[in-house]
Amino acid sequence: MEKYGIGQPVRRKEDVRFLTGTGTYIDDIKPDNLIHAVVLRSPHAHAKILDLDTSEAETMPGVLCIVTGKDWVAEDFQPMPTKSAVNKKIDGTPLNQPPRHAIAIDRVRYVGEPVALIVAETLVQAQDAAEVVEVDYEELEAVTDQIKALEPGAPQIWDDIEGNFCIDFELGDKEGTGKAFETADHVVKLKLRNQCVTAAPIETRGAIASYDKDTGKYFLQNATQNVHANRDTFASVLKIPSEDLHHMAPDVGGGFGAKNSGYPEPSLLLYAAKKTDRPIKWIGDRNESFAADTHGRDQATTVEMALDKDGMFLGLRTRTVGNIGAYCWTVGPFTPTGGSARTQGGPYYIPAMHYTGIAAFTNTMPLDPYRGAGRPEGSFQIERIVELAARELGMDPVELRRKNLMPADSLPRKTPMGLDVDTGNFPEVFERTLKMSDRAGFAKRFEESARKGLRRGFAIAPYLECTGGGPKEFAGVKFGKDGSATLRVGSMSTGMGQETSMPQILSDTLGIDFEKITYVQGDTDATPIGGGHGGSRNMEVGGSAVLQCAREVLVKAKQLAAHLLNSNADDMELKESVFTDVKTDQNVSMADVVAASFDQSRLPDGMEAGALDTDTIFEREIISCPNGCHSAEVEVDPETGTVQVEHMWIVDDFGTIINPMLADGQVMGGVAQGLGQALMEEIVYDEDSGQLVTGSLMDYALPRADSMPKMEMAFYEDAPTAKNPLGVKGSGEAGCCGAPPAIVNAVLDALKEDGVTHIEMPLTPEKVWRAIQDAKQQGA
Amino acid sequence: MYEFEYHQPKSLEEATKLFADADDPQFMAGGQTIIPVMKQRLAMPSDIIDLGKISDLQGISVDGGALTIGAMTHHNEVAGSDEVRKAIPALAELASHIGDPAVRNRGTIGGSIANNDPAADYPAALVALGATVQTTSREIAAEDFFTAMFETALDEGEMIVNVTFPAPEKAAYEKFPNPASRYATTGVFVAKTGESVRVAVTGAGACVFRQIDFEKALLGDFSPSALDGLTVSTDGLNSDLHASAEYRANLISVLAKRAVKHAG
Ligand SMILES: Cc1cc2nc3c(=O)[nH]c(=O)nc-3n(C[C@H](O)[C@H](O)[C@H](O)COP(=O)(O)OP(=O)(O)OC[C@H]3O[C@@H](n4cnc5c(N)ncnc54)[C@H](O)[C@@H]3O)c2cc1C
Repeated sequence: MEKYGIGQPVRRKEDVRFLTGTGTYIDDIKPDNLIHAVVLRSPHAHAKILDLDTSEAETMPGVLCIVTGKDWVAEDFQPMPTKSAVNKKIDGTPLNQPPRHAIAIDRVRYVGEPVALIVAETLVQAQDAAEVVEVDYEELEAVTDQIKALEPGAPQIWDDIEGNFCIDFELGDKEGTGKAFETADHVVKLKLRNQCVTAAPIETRGAIASYDKDTGKYFLQNATQNVHANRDTFASVLKIPSEDLHHMAPDVGGGFGAKNSGYPEPSLLLYAAKKTDRPIKWIGDRNESFAADTHGRDQATTVEMALDKDGMFLGLRTRTVGNIGAYCWTVGPFTPTGGSARTQGGPYYIPAMHYTGIAAFTNTMPLDPYRGAGRPEGSFQIERIVELAARELGMDPVELRRKNLMPADSLPRKTPMGLDVDTGNFPEVFERTLKMSDRAGFAKRFEESARKGLRRGFAIAPYLECTGGGPKEFAGVKFGKDGSATLRVGSMSTGMGQETSMPQILSDTLGIDFEKITYVQGDTDATPIGGGHGGSRNMEVGGSAVLQCAREVLVKAKQLAAHLLNSNADDMELKESVFTDVKTDQNVSMADVVAASFDQSRLPDGMEAGALDTDTIFEREIISCPNGCHSAEVEVDPETGTVQVEHMWIVDDFGTIINPMLADGQVMGGVAQGLGQALMEEIVYDEDSGQLVTGSLMDYALPRADSMPKMEMAFYEDAPTAKNPLGVKGSGEAGCCGAPPAIVNAVLDALKEDGVTHIEMPLTPEKVWRAIQDAKQQGA
Repeated sequence: MYEFEYHQPKSLEEATKLFADADDPQFMAGGQTIIPVMKQRLAMPSDIIDLGKISDLQGISVDGGALTIGAMTHHNEVAGSDEVRKAIPALAELASHIGDPAVRNRGTIGGSIANNDPAADYPAALVALGATVQTTSREIAAEDFFTAMFETALDEGEMIVNVTFPAPEKAAYEKFPNPASRYATTGVFVAKTGESVRVAVTGAGACVFRQIDFEKALLGDFSPSALDGLTVSTDGLNSDLHASAEYRANLISVLAKRAVKHAG
């Protein structure tokens, strides 16, 4: 039991399957009678559909069904809902939310928008038919940049939404912050961008839909992060009761937010499955993944900081304009507004803060959460302005940070952004990171780099973030007579390892054999509710539900054990899978208690066979605040502008660590994506045509193994949160909060003698080289 | 992908005949370029003639001062070959940095030069080393072989059989990889052979070219400092998502100096 307990680095059970090619991803599922679909997508960023002629395509060999906007209108299918928690403008009126249909009706607004679904016996036949669907477009002017979209005279994406404006939002004390700036000794200001990126999961999206005409029920297997919410979305589109749609996710190969939402394709497939009475498969290819998976970040921000003469922070003012693409996607408008506001200011003590966020429509693929959804943006903003402040005030950036961190004894504290920071020790985490970073050896490494003609730089970036996602979660346990247990959970893993960590909690609490626990997730029939995956909520909410469930089982198991031993439930103590009566020393094993639970003759009055089976729902009241600190050492080649991140040191406070190996993995993965954003990733649309320029892996750069630094990681485990029974704070998104500012600031540190003060992400070799050239020219 | 007929000839004659008899045939080496293009439906050959089983296209041999590499030789074979490492280490080094392991296990020298991707590595080596391309009908000097972007001197149905490289005194290749594809954003191959120095640049323009002023400077003084003060014009250089012409001009200078430094 110890070996599989909470806190143990248990190896991932699911990896055997994943690494030997025996996982079941959506494309591995091949039902009988399967037919295939392709999605014909808009080649234009903005155009009217004058005519859409499928007559020739319908006569092509093997073609079974073609779905277009005409069907959607004829069937009166409903638009997909947006569930942004921020949904009113500053003036109190509701956000501008245009209808988001699963298929274009009479106008397309981004490259990749679905225009027709073509279904045929084989994939090749569907592709052939797609080529002869004739669409007559009248091209319209497009705008892909949110700042330009808000300018007067910009192309109008929606006829009835003026100026491409979706929503504005503010948080904090505007007046107080204004005063802080008026009285400040120093004001530092920086314009910066968190550029548009994409998740690029290794498994692209895909789904299989079928319909049973005898029962009238639909069945959807889907590469998704959230079966329940998306079931409801698809059901509402098709105007059917949610119970009539069974939604399942098989093994999912990465999500990172890009598989959060209810996309258009499943509704189209479900409709076509009913029409053709055949199961239909659609698998998006890599180009579709770039064009039609939701994108992330894309915020243009002005940050200002007010400081006193000693460098103490007095105020922070942030104004962000976020691109949300052509539609309000599932929660798109939330990210640049509420999502980015909450953790403004990071782990620093800043008395006055004010945040303004605007969401604007453009002719791009819509944006939705991407790993962190607003918190990495906020973390980057504060760390960049602090670095710049140190530069401008001539202070040591480490010292400036140290003196402004929230003191340990200031917690619990509600920040001016309303974030409830209960536990943590930011100074301690900061100092530990610094200590790990071998600052003493830096001078020598700096010299070694210099000898090779290279620059070396260092930066440290503490971060504070928060969890999110649905607050409620289901967990249920069903026992077998043989002592096995099936654990069903409504949160879900898209590769993070919950198949291992959730059973760890159950095994630890109940002393049942880890190997005998079967884990079930991603199935609307298996769990009554489920929040899926998002906002680092899996362990926080799902894990807490498992613990709560296990504790409820324990109460019943103690009663049963007491009955079997003829003693008192209160005297039962569970240790190493055995219940012992603390008074009499009699004992009975958990396995025997489970066996007894199926034998009516051994059960007390009021207990039925299967009495230990338990279903529960946990509800989180307040989101938790993961925090930590990253530091990075980088080497820059000034002749080519190439950046190599040499080393990163990371201390994270995720509260209780359930499985340190998996938590490490979360940090490493987050760092990889953060490094990608810092140095190479960017979704680029052509400014004039609105065409997607980075539509393949030949153009969109992702980090590879050799891009990654050495990483040393540690956990600060002395401040578990009381906000949930496990004491966990969520680890999934922290890596990409800390890494971008640590890396970017380290590059700027390396180039400080060159006079470079700012470079926009991604810090590509050319941008770094150009910044050096520009600084040289300015200096000359 | 569209449907096509697949053939696997055992000899050059058979391949030539298959090509002549088909409607719209294409040779296939490792399929590293042609298969992705077909999958995207950007090419629709009626017949694919797989050259993988033709023994005349295989193998690496050394004859006196010259190294001959069969058209179907995979990049990893060149990278790992003792003969190549001994005769022209820079060539083995170049091959070891093409793409990724999967690409190196399938991609071939014949396919690479027949395709003449402006960002491919081999063209720089062929031009700088003064290689000769042996085809099914003639010998073509490297400089005459690469004619324009994605174009070569090959006639319809003409096959590359092998490439012969005279061993240089000193040579080195420096590549600045595209961060996404790992093709050359710019690559510079420098070779010194007797009284001749050649500097060939790939990735920077529409097609591989020689940097003549660098060659002249290096002829008198084969050292990095010989290139000090020489600037590269941006005329004819590519500007794209990953690098502007100006940046590529800088890379040509930087990489050429590094190549001279590392040439051994
Ligand atoms: C992800 C990726 C990364 C890559 N990175 C690099 C890189 O860093 N540097 C680089 O140089 N290259 C790179 N390449 C290209 C790769 O190395 C191959 O050389 C190239 O794709 C050709 O592949 P192939 O040899 O399989 O030829 P194929 O794709 O089979 O054929 C290519 C063309 O050559 C023709 N052809 C093939 N053999 C002959 C012959 N003997 N005679 C006449 N015509 C012939 C074919 O008809 C076809 O038109 C990369 C490719 C990929 C997919």
